[in-house]
Amino acid sequence: MFTSCLTVGAWESLMSVVTAKAEPDPGQQTAGRARARFWDREAPLAYLFMIPGLLILLLFMGYPFFLGIYLSLTDKMVGFADFSFVGLENYQLLLDDPVFHRTVANTLIYSFVTVPFKLVLGLGLALVLNQTFRFSRFVRAGLLLPWIVPTAISSLAWLMLFDSVLSPVSWVLKDWGVIQSNINFLGDRWNAISAICVANVWRGLPFFAISILAGLQAVAPELHEAAALDGANAWQRFVAVTLPTIRNIILITTLFSIIFTFSDFQLIYVLTKGGPASSTHVFGTYAYQTMGFSALGQAAAIALSMLPFLAIFAAILLREIRKED
Amino acid sequence: MTDPRATQLIDEAMKMRLSRRSVMRRASALGISAGALGGVLAATGHAKAAPKAAVFIQERVMNTLAATYFVPEGQTFFTQVAEDWASQNGVTITTDYIGWPDLQPRIAAAVEGGSGPDVIEMWDIWPYLYQEKMVPVQELAEKVSEQYGGFYEWVTKTASVDGQWYSIPHGSSSSAFAYRISLLEEAGIEDPKNNFPKTWEELFTLGKTLKEMGKPIGQALGQSLGDPPSFAYPYMWAYGGMEVEEDGTTPAINKPEFVEALQAFTQTWKDAFDETGLSWDDGANNRAFLSDQISMTLNGSSVYLAAVAAKAGESTLDYEVQVDPDDIWHAGYPEGPAGRYNVLGSRSYAAMNYSPNADAAVEFLDYFFSPEIFLPWLESQGGYIIPMAPGYADDEMYTGNPALAPYPEVSDYSRNRGYAGPANQKAAESSARYVVVNTFAQAIQSGDAAGAVGQAEAQLRRIYG
Repeated sequence: MFTSCLTVGAWESLMSVVTAKAEPDPGQQTAGRARARFWDREAPLAYLFMIPGLLILLLFMGYPFFLGIYLSLTDKMVGFADFSFVGLENYQLLLDDPVFHRTVANTLIYSFVTVPFKLVLGLGLALVLNQTFRFSRFVRAGLLLPWIVPTAISSLAWLMLFDSVLSPVSWVLKDWGVIQSNINFLGDRWNAISAICVANVWRGLPFFAISILAGLQAVAPELHEAAALDGANAWQRFVAVTLPTIRNIILITTLFSIIFTFSDFQLIYVLTKGGPASSTHVFGTYAYQTMGFSALGQAAAIALSMLPFLAIFAAILLREIRKED
Repeated sequence: MTDPRATQLIDEAMKMRLSRRSVMRRASALGISAGALGGVLAATGHAKAAPKAAVFIQERVMNTLAATYFVPEGQTFFTQVAEDWASQNGVTITTDYIGWPDLQPRIAAAVEGGSGPDVIEMWDIWPYLYQEKMVPVQELAEKVSEQYGGFYEWVTKTASVDGQWYSIPHGSSSSAFAYRISLLEEAGIEDPKNNFPKTWEELFTLGKTLKEMGKPIGQALGQSLGDPPSFAYPYMWAYGGMEVEEDGTTPAINKPEFVEALQAFTQTWKDAFDETGLSWDDGANNRAFLSDQISMTLNGSSVYLAAVAAKAGESTLDYEVQVDPDDIWHAGYPEGPAGRYNVLGSRSYAAMNYSPNADAAVEFLDYFFSPEIFLPWLESQGGYIIPMAPGYADDEMYTGNPALAPYPEVSDYSRNRGYAGPANQKAAESSARYVVVNTFAQAIQSGDAAGAVGQAEAQLRRIYG
């Protein structure tokens, strides 16, 4: 303690100064105590710390969000200053729009078909990577590549693989005599949706694998040892020990993945731009195309139609996160 | 004068007898202000031109936006022109080129955000959509029109807004059938250069033979701005279908002749075409043709020019060109029962009024459209762009190579998008929604032409109604 370095006299003089300063009039004392009590409580502090984040959210998320809602209720065209309030007309038009119906169906297919594949493959991959083997750390880091490479770039690589003329897949299969003409990867609705799903699974797999791997590493080895002593085989240990432990992580990862996939844009835009014949649009690409020909109000309505779906997913996600807490 | 850089520049200018332009360039490099430059010019005897120079000498950064060129030499030339102009005027300029389908959303974002490129290439009837954010350039347009012998009617109809000019038209790429002479000979056509099928039906019959030979017709029918509409609109018109009647509001696509022709086409697609074409954009058919996968395709002259470049060892493509340009010939559109048509709309350059450099942008357009710049720009693309006025229609680039003769001819039998109504905002929306193109793609996918046309009719009613 630095006080031990001071002489007694010096200490007393110092304290007298401090005390003199620390003993204001009774009014000030009360205010000081109130301040201290204020800072002792967690809630005000929590709000204080949240303010910067909240402001950023309000500015960059809240403002565009509410502006989007407002625009979706108008006939606003890009570039034209005059527009009027049209109520729910833009949403009503969507109800009669066959392209929008396909868009909703495609988005649901895209989100829910890919997730089981990502989950099962991701879980398998995580179980393998949870073992220690030579270069395991290197492989784990490498696994993240599809996820961290910008989607626009990896999508371009997929576009080359699916190219109707120069696809190496078609060329190799033709060379082997398996097919006579190039595969129509992106020129048929179901082929195109399948191709998009394959690319999405490739991109989303690492997210599942790494998240589940983190969960697996938190499983206490003692539990496995105890189960093994009780005579449980590997499968039984997986079902009775591993799965319950990582259940919440799987659930949360799945929900996050559904939300990301639901609002995806880049992959579909690069691969098909919503074609052929607008048969592979998802909400994002259809809204973008609509914005392209200036119908901003309609585009906003399309984009906001995602909201009810996303709100449900988010509610389930939040409930699960709270449960985990 | 207290700025030491200005004093240094005066010394240099006097010693080296620098020209006014060199003084201005040097001043720009040294970061000398417009005010100080006035002093320098006065001290070096160049003061007379100072007032005009001062307008542009301030540190300005400008940006131009256009669609990617299919003839790369044209893009390089435009960039060089922009940079030359910029350096002469103390401006820093960047030139952006983006994929055709991405151009319109990018423009929409700039227009709505009120910031972005200072000069933008507009396609076809887009000025109807963005006129409020474009600088009116009536005087300049009239001057350019006069210089080149008056704009063509198809240009005025599509690039002006009801006769008012907000951009300066420069013409358009046009389409014709590029085909392989040797393959047509093999398919039984005698003298293919002079005997290309005259009707769509004859063409499809030939296509069946070609597909049996393993070299089908290639047609892009994806959601893209160039080749897909270049086929879909003319074929629809040739069989009596139209987006709307002359009143501009009544849908006219659901005509029995067209439905019947489209139904037949769904089978023809399987028998005569490369079926992957439903996913093709404007570049895919070029790749298919130059990679020897198809026998013919509806395209601009870029496939031929790319083959010529490849033969000369100057290919800029990232794949091997396997077709000899001497084996390529071109033919105009075939006709149907209702006539022979193609779709044509002029592209144009606009100065944007949200730009702080709007005046400079208009000056740039004035510079670009001067004959000593514009003609070499057209030439750099080997006639790929047909001009907006007849002034240079007789130039050698359009008449010198008989293989390319059908391209300038398309302006003789063209219609605008939105026909039989006027080219306007609604036609632009219909085009951007790919209503006509998707009618074909959907009919092919479903095999139900009547259903596809019915859906298109409903969409057109909503757009035009």
